[in-house]
Amino acid sequence: MTTTEADPLAAFADEARAFLDAHAERRSTDAVIWGKGEDHTGYFSEDPPEVEQALVDQARAWQRTRYENGFGWITGPESYGGRELSGVHDLVYDQIEAEYDVPDTGVLSLIGLGMIGPTILAHGRDEVRDRYLPAMFRGEVIACQLFSEPGAGSDLAGVQTRASRTEDGWVLRGQKVWTSVAQHAQIGMALCRTDPDAPKHKGITAFLVDLSLPGVEVRPLRQMSGGAEFNEVFLTDVHVPDDHRLGEVNGGWRVALTTLMNERASVGNEASTGVARVLSDGFLAALLHESGHGEDAAARRRLAEITADLTAAEYLNRATIRRLRSGAQPGPEASVSKLLWAQNLTRIAHLAAELVGPRLTADTGEWGTFSWNELLLSAPAFRILGGTEEIMKNILGERVLGLPKEPS
Amino acid sequence: MTKTTTITEGELEDLRGTVRAFLAEYSGEQAVRRAVAADPGYDVDLWRRLATELGLPAMAIPEAYGGDGFGLVTLGIVLGEMGRAMTPGPFFSSVILAAGALLASGDETACSTRLPGIADGSVVGTLAVVEADGAWRTDGFATTAREDGGSWVLTGEKTLVPEGSSADLLLVAASTPAGPALFAVDAGAAGLSAGALRTLDITRPISRVALSETPAVLVGDLGAARQILADVLVRASVALAAEQVGAARACLEMAVAYAKEREQFGRAIGSFQAVKHKLADMLARVTLADAAATEGLRAADGFDDAPPAAVAAAVAHSVCSEAFMYVAAENIQVHGGIGFTWEHPAHLYYRRAKADQLMFGGPAVYHERLLATLGV
Repeated sequence: MTTTEADPLAAFADEARAFLDAHAERRSTDAVIWGKGEDHTGYFSEDPPEVEQALVDQARAWQRTRYENGFGWITGPESYGGRELSGVHDLVYDQIEAEYDVPDTGVLSLIGLGMIGPTILAHGRDEVRDRYLPAMFRGEVIACQLFSEPGAGSDLAGVQTRASRTEDGWVLRGQKVWTSVAQHAQIGMALCRTDPDAPKHKGITAFLVDLSLPGVEVRPLRQMSGGAEFNEVFLTDVHVPDDHRLGEVNGGWRVALTTLMNERASVGNEASTGVARVLSDGFLAALLHESGHGEDAAARRRLAEITADLTAAEYLNRATIRRLRSGAQPGPEASVSKLLWAQNLTRIAHLAAELVGPRLTADTGEWGTFSWNELLLSAPAFRILGGTEEIMKNILGERVLGLPKEPS
Repeated sequence: MTKTTTITEGELEDLRGTVRAFLAEYSGEQAVRRAVAADPGYDVDLWRRLATELGLPAMAIPEAYGGDGFGLVTLGIVLGEMGRAMTPGPFFSSVILAAGALLASGDETACSTRLPGIADGSVVGTLAVVEADGAWRTDGFATTAREDGGSWVLTGEKTLVPEGSSADLLLVAASTPAGPALFAVDAGAAGLSAGALRTLDITRPISRVALSETPAVLVGDLGAARQILADVLVRASVALAAEQVGAARACLEMAVAYAKEREQFGRAIGSFQAVKHKLADMLARVTLADAAATEGLRAADGFDDAPPAAVAAAVAHSVCSEAFMYVAAENIQVHGGIGFTWEHPAHLYYRRAKADQLMFGGPAVYHERLLATLGV
C-alpha cells in the first residue's frame, strides 16, 4: 500500500510482539494434515473435570503474566493496573496474540474481564472496585453473570429473583440459569427485582454476589452436546452487604446495559480452538477430498458457497478493525458478524454431516468422522447464544434500519 | 503492485457525494427509462458530461496515458454510485473491460494510442470474448486470426458483447497458431457488423458481433490472451462487485423506506417481525457484500495487507452476486404488488442482478473459480 503516514499504534504493536516473543511460542502455520492433531470440532468443552481444571489454571497463569507485563487490562485505569489505552490497542493486541500459541483465557475474559469488569468500574463503589478489579485482571477471581432465569430469556428485564432490604444489606432469593463458568467463578453479577410494583425495567437492582456465601448453590446443567458448560445457580436467602450493590437501588437496568453493550462487542469474534480449525478453508477442503467427494459437483458447490461467505466474514472483521483504527464509531458490524458466524457454522456442520455420511452416527474410531458430532450438536446453540437470531434481527431492524417497534 | 495515486477516506467520501448528487440530478429513474428507450441505449450527452465535467473515465487510467492514476478503490466509489442509480452507459465496458485489457496486455503502443481516448471519453471501448455457448473462456476461441502480409484479419462471431453496437473500439479474443491472442478492431472496419440483442437487463445493451476477414491489430504478445483475460476477469469481478453493492444498497433502502411508510392492518408493515427480519437479513447480506467488494478492490490495487487478488476477486464476485440477487428479489416482495409492475424501478435492479450474476459464467463457474484459487 502507498500510505506513508506513520502508524501511531506501531510502537505499541512492537512492544506487544516483544512481550509475546519473550513469553510464548509462535503458532505454527503448517497446513492442515488430515488425521493429525486433535480430533475435535466442537465449541463447547466436553473435557473431564480434572482436564478442565488444568485448562482453567493455565488460563489464570497466562492472564497473570499478561497483567504483570502491562497487557492484562489495556484499556483499564492505571490505578487498577491498566494502561488507559484505547479499544483499538486492545484489538491490535488480540490480533498479534493470535499469532502465538497461548492458553485460551476465555473462561476469565469473555464474561468476567470483558463484561463484568467494565461494569464494576462504571457502577461499583470504591471498596468493591479495590477488592475485585485487580484480583480479576490478575487472573485470581473469575466472574460470571447471574442474569438469565428460567422464565426470562431474551426479556432480561423480566427477572423474578427477589432482593429484599435487611438492616445492613439485602437478602436474595431466586434461581438463575444458563450461567456460563459459574462452576469456576468466585463472584457473580446478579440482576434482582427490588420493586415488584414498578414497571419491569425500573424495579431491578444489580448486585455483586460472593459465590462462597451461604445459600449459593451452583449445579451443572448438561446441554444437548453432552458437556456441562452452563449451570443453574440457586440463591436461597443469600445475605449480600449493601456495599456490593452496583449502581442505584432500582437502577439495575442501566447497569445491565453496560454489561450487555460489552457483550455485543465480544460475541461473534470469539473462536475456541476446535472451531477455529473448522473455520480454516484447508480443513474443509481436506474433508471434501478425504470423504471421497472431491469430484462431487453438488458438494463442491456447497463448499464454495460456504468458503466465499466465511472468507467475506473475515474481510468484514478486517474492515471493522480498519474502521475502528481510523477512529470511527462501531457500526452494526458486530450484530451482523454474530448472525453470519452462527449461520456459517451451522452450514459447515450440515455439510460435514453430509460428507461424512452414516459414519457420523456411531464412533467407529476413525479420525475425523464421529468428531463432527461436536459441531453438529453445538450448532443450534450458535443461533441462540448472546441473543437469539430473532432478537438480533429485531435489533438490526429497529436500531440500524430505524423500523418501528412491534406495538405492545 | 500497481502504482496508484493515494486518496484519503475523506476525499473518497467527497467523491461519493459529488457523483451521487450529479447522478441524482441527471440520472434519476425517469432519465434512466428515457435513456434505455433511445439509441444507443444510454444518454450520450450525459456520458459526455460524466467524462468532461466529472472526468470519471480518466480516473483509473495511468497518468502516462492521459488519466489520473487512481486505483480501483477510488474507482469503486464511482462504480457503486452508478450501480445505485442504474445509470446506463459504457463505463463498465470501456473503462473496466477495454482499458483493463489494454493495460493487462502490457502493450506500450496499444496503450499510448488507445487509452487517452478512453480516458477523455471520446472513445468507447469494449471487449469481445464470449462466443455461441455464452462461456467466458481464455482459450479455444472459434474466432480465428490469420496473418496476411504483416497485418491481421479476423473471422468469426462473438456474442454477449457489452455496448457492442456503439463501441468505437473492440478488443477481440481470437485463436492463432501460436495460441489465443487479443486484437484491436475499429468500428467501421471492413467485414465487421454488430447487431443489438434483446436483453434481460435493459440498462446494459448487448450485441452480437460478426467478423469476416476484418482487419485487426495485435495487442500484446501472440499467444498471451490467456493471461490478459485472466487479469481482466479479476479487475472486472471486483469492479462489478462494487457496482452490485451500490445497487443492492439502493434496493435495501427502497425496501426500508417503503416498509416504514406502507400501512396494513393499521400499522406500518416494517413493524411486523416477518418483514423486519427480512430487512435485517437483507442488511446482513449487504454488509457482508460491502466488505467482500472492498477487500476485492484493495487486493486488485495490491494493498500490502490484502489477500491474493484472485482469491479476493472470486470471493467478491460470489458474495456480491448472491447478495444483490437476494435483496433485489426481496425488495419486490416487500413492495408487494406494486413491486411487480413495470412502472416500479424494482424490476430494473432484479434484471440487472441476474444479468450480473451470469456475466462471467454464473454461480457454478465462479464457485469452481474460487475453489481453483484455493487449490481445492
